[in-house]
This record gives sequence, C-alpha cells and structure tokens, in this order.
Amino acid sequence: MAANFWTSSHCKRLLEQEEISVVSNDDRDRGLTQEDVKIIKIYFSSYIKKLAQRAKVRQRVVATAIAYFRRVYTRKSFSEYDPRLVAPTCLYLASKAEESTVQAKLLIFYMKQIGSDENGFRYDIKDILEMEMKLLEALDYYLVIYHPYRPLVQLLRDAGLSDMIEMCWSIVNDSYGTDLILMHPPYMIALACIYISCVINERDNRLWFEESRVDMTVIKNIAMQIFDFYDNYRLGFEDRIGAILLKLSQKS
Amino acid sequence: MLELKNGIGAKRYVKGISLGEGTYGVVFKALDTQTNRTVAVKKIRLGKYKEGVHVTALREIKLLKELRDPNIIELIDVYPHKRNLHLVFEFMESDLEAVIRDRNILLSPADVKSYMQMCLRGLAHCHKKWVLHRDLKPNNLLISSDGQLKLGDFGLARIFGSPDRKFTHQVFARWYRSPELLFGSKQYGSGVDIWAAGCIFAELLLRRPFLQGSSDIDQLGKIFQAFGTPRETQWPDMTSLPDYVEFQFTPAPALRSLFPMATEDALDLLSKMFAFDPKARITAQQALEHRYFSTDPAPTKAHLLLRPASKAEGMRPPPELASPKEPVVLSPPAKARRISLFPGVAGAEHIHHSKESKDGSSAATVGETPSDHSGMAITDRSYLKRKLDMDVHFEDERHV
Repeated sequence: MAANFWTSSHCKRLLEQEEISVVSNDDRDRGLTQEDVKIIKIYFSSYIKKLAQRAKVRQRVVATAIAYFRRVYTRKSFSEYDPRLVAPTCLYLASKAEESTVQAKLLIFYMKQIGSDENGFRYDIKDILEMEMKLLEALDYYLVIYHPYRPLVQLLRDAGLSDMIEMCWSIVNDSYGTDLILMHPPYMIALACIYISCVINERDNRLWFEESRVDMTVIKNIAMQIFDFYDNYRLGFEDRIGAILLKLSQKS
Repeated sequence: MLELKNGIGAKRYVKGISLGEGTYGVVFKALDTQTNRTVAVKKIRLGKYKEGVHVTALREIKLLKELRDPNIIELIDVYPHKRNLHLVFEFMESDLEAVIRDRNILLSPADVKSYMQMCLRGLAHCHKKWVLHRDLKPNNLLISSDGQLKLGDFGLARIFGSPDRKFTHQVFARWYRSPELLFGSKQYGSGVDIWAAGCIFAELLLRRPFLQGSSDIDQLGKIFQAFGTPRETQWPDMTSLPDYVEFQFTPAPALRSLFPMATEDALDLLSKMFAFDPKARITAQQALEHRYFSTDPAPTKAHLLLRPASKAEGMRPPPELASPKEPVVLSPPAKARRISLFPGVAGAEHIHHSKESKDGSSAATVGETPSDHSGMAITDRSYLKRKLDMDVHFEDERHV
C-alpha cells in the first residue's frame, strides 16, 4: 500500500505547518486567535467522532472526515464556512467516499441527539447537501486520503511488536486531534505512534528504528506534537467552544 | 488560488449540442475556451432521494483524480453550476464496440495487438494504483480522435488492497464476468479485470462477444464449455466460494479450435488471462511483458488504426442510405410544406428538399445554425446512447 501513496494526490498535497496554522483575515477580524482555531479543530474532530459513533461507521470514515475538515480550513475561513455545518457534512462526504454511505437524514437525526441547540446546531438536510457541493470544491475534488492504520499493522508485525497494536492504534486515533495527517506521510505518523508506545512501555527498540533508516528527528517531532495534544488539548473544550463560536457569529 | 485556477467554472466552456441522457445526467459536447479542446461535459443530476451528489459520480471523481495515464480517460475539470455538478472529460470520438461491430473495418493481427496493448496499459496503471475498474467491456473502452484507446466509465470502480473488505460480486456486464464472481466471491482482486480483458481479446479475434451466457449459471456453463470444467487441482479455492455449484464434467476442447486464426503467442496469452484460479491468472503488467507483444507483427500505431465510419460524414454510407435515386421524404408533402421556412417556394421542387427544410426549421427553432447538426452529431449521439444505456442496466446485457 505504501508504494502507491507516493503517487497519490494526498502525497503531493502535503503541507507545511506554517501553511496550515495561519489564521485567515476574516477570522482574525472577528477576534479569533491561533489558539482559538486550534480549539475549534479539536472540538469538531471529536464532534465528528461522536457523530460517527452514533452512525456506526468504520474508523476509516472518521479519519477521512477529520482529514477533510482540516483540509477545508486550510483554504476557507471559519467565518465563511460554519464549522457546525462543515463537520457533519465532512462525515457525510467521507461516508460516501469510503463506500459506507450514511443517509443525510439519519445524520441530522444524530446531530439533534448529541448537539445542543443554543450552540446553533440547527441545520437541515438541504444545508448539508448544499455544503457538500462547496466542500467538494474546497477540497478541489481530491477525495482519497491515506491513513496510518494499515502501515501501522505492517510495521508492528515487522518489528515483532504486534502485542502493542491496541495502544498504538488508539494513539493513531488521537493523532487526528492534530493536523499531522495533512503534513506527514501516514507511515511516518504510524512510526511516531510506535515510538511513543515504546517510550511509554519502556521497550528498547532503537535498533529496529535505526534499521528502518527513517529520519528520527522527524519521527520525534511528530511524537512531540502528539504529546502536546495529550498534555494540553485532550479535554473536549466544551466550556470554551461556546465563547469561541460566539465570536464567529458576531460581525466584526 | 482555487478560484484563479478553476473558479471560472461554467464560463470556461462553451456549451454545444447534447450528446445524450445518462442515468445520472445529461452529457453535452462543449468547447474548452482555455485550451481550445473539444470536451464532453457530464451534468450530474442531484439524487432524487435527497442524497446529494450521486455516489457513482463521486466514485468517478475520486478515482479519476488519482489516475493519469494516456490510456485512461482524463477528467479535465469539475465545477458546480446552478446547484448541479459538472464533470468535464476529454471528448472521445468512438469506442471499441463500434470498431468491433463495423464490418468495414478489417482488424489485422497487428491492430488487435495494438488495442490489447493500450487496454492492458490502462489497466496496469489502475492496478498499480490499487484501483479495480470492474466494468470493462468494449463500449467502455473509448477511442480518441488520435486513435488512442482509453479506459472510461469508472462509475463502478473501487480501491482494493485491504484484504478484509468485502465487495459486491454484482459487477461487470455478465459476458465479461470471471468465474470467481459468478460463484459469488466477495474478496476478489485485479484478476476480475484481467478476465474481462481476456474476453475483450477474444472478442477482437472473433468479432463477436465470446461467451454469451443468458444467466449467471448459463455463463458458467459457457465458460466451462470453452475451457473445460476446472478440477480442484486447477483451482483449489473454488469449492469454498459462496455460490459454488458443481457442474457436470466437460473436457476442454483445444483452444486452437476456438480461435483458428490466432497465433501461438496470442493463444498462450489468452489462456493465461483465462486461468481459472485468480491467483494463477496473469497480471496486467506480466501480460504486457508477454512475448505476444514483442514478436512480429508489431502493434499498429494508434493513429493508423481505422476508425469506425461516422455515417453522417458519408464516408462509408451503409447500403440502405447509399442510393441517391429517391429523395428521402420523412413526412408527407403536406406536412413538409407546413413547416417550411420558405413559404414562397412551392410545389414539387420543395417536396424534393423536404428533408433539408425540415432540418433547417428545427435548427432555427432552437436557435442554432444548421451546420451544428451536421458531422459528428449523429454518431456522437448513437455512441453515447449505447454507452449511457449500459450505465443503468449493466446487469441486463446489451441488445445484440
């Protein structure tokens, strides 16, 4: 699988940190800080996860939806496209693109179940369908996303660490709380997750990492970003999201 | 940045005549003002049941954005316009089915080799990118104005490669379905496309569909008649397939007897593409390296391949339209007079031209110049109609 990643649109469209973390002028006018933007992305990544759990879709669909969400906002501002609509629409689009369609009306139903109205989760089917078209355009119609899950399984087998699969898998899940999927090849993220789990479990696997001839500074860098997520952003931000979304809804 | 590149959307294309009505929208011919190329624009109707962009269209977009190859149809652009999504493809003049059916075209062994090489090249590119086409058949092999054969219609295609994913076996038109699909396999791989390509190879040699089953069981029967009933040793996994049924044993006739004109190399490649066990079946890349492609005769250059006659251009008029003795009167003279554009011109002379004036008047009502209706239009339309009809009923087979 790794072989075809190199020729994929996903690979050609990998971005640098600076390209991702700019706050658009529109959003800055409304008083959004870089920290706010980070929180919005984390909040809605976990929102997509929650919605997906209700809809009972595969992990892959969730991961693709979050990648779409994050990619859309490298080109669009939060003021322009309301994340409360973009998040469920990303899940809708991802479910279709990953061949396990969730009906739009069901999605609306689940949104009502988990969302609170005061936060403005008041969208309907036609809004989702309209947004779907806009998202396709914002994604420039590139829909194929590669994820670290498959390389993870292969790498663990190769390293003789298959017993760590569960822990690594959940670290990969958590890596979607960051923009890593837009920045690094999936197998690098998988390696970083293995690295983290080796550190936590105090397993010395330096030799295998050396043999795999990957750039350990990049791996450590990825691992640091995941650690940063664990240290500072793991909580859902339920308390802070309201105030941030309020900023968005105000005219500058 | 997106806006600068693609944002002009609909304005980039000058819409031409409609080429036909498909399952999920209308296709029309258009001119790309940015490149001056003729293109085909597929307008995607939104789903009826409030399900947004049609999954088939989404599949086609998703996969074609990843595939770039001279032997795969190019998706040039996608744009929304008036709440509809439009897919812009390179314009394809004809397809392999039209070539096979055109009795005026003699397919030399070098021509067949050329078509097979282009088909396998497109397929090899798909498989390298882990894409299964799943709907190969002659009328999905499109032919461009410079003779290149390109795989088209990715509405059924899928990404494969994860061993646990189950697929539907209801893919391909029946005559091109491999035995593992007919036995209900849900975890198949690129072998299904190779089997279909083998059927197309055979069809090029025979000039008729090779295995024309009338039901799934009949299809298997036809396959076993041609190649013999497989033994366990030939295909160990066969008996564990979901819809496996035992067939009465038939011995295989000599392949030579089915394809008397084919060379030894052609027969050898054919037999490898028709291997029963999908694991033993040749891959697209291996097929391209087969000696069939390196021995004499060399494949014909694409631009030298004969194109099917387009009737409207009158290059090779079919017999029923060939005799110019009688004027073709499509409607009674009285009616022709009624719709005439030139009320001043009366009588017998006018009746002789009734066909022309009818065409002229209809063109005038839609506000186009009559010349727009000449040339490609009719062939385009019949080609697309055939193609689009297949979109819906890929199960139901074509009318022979």
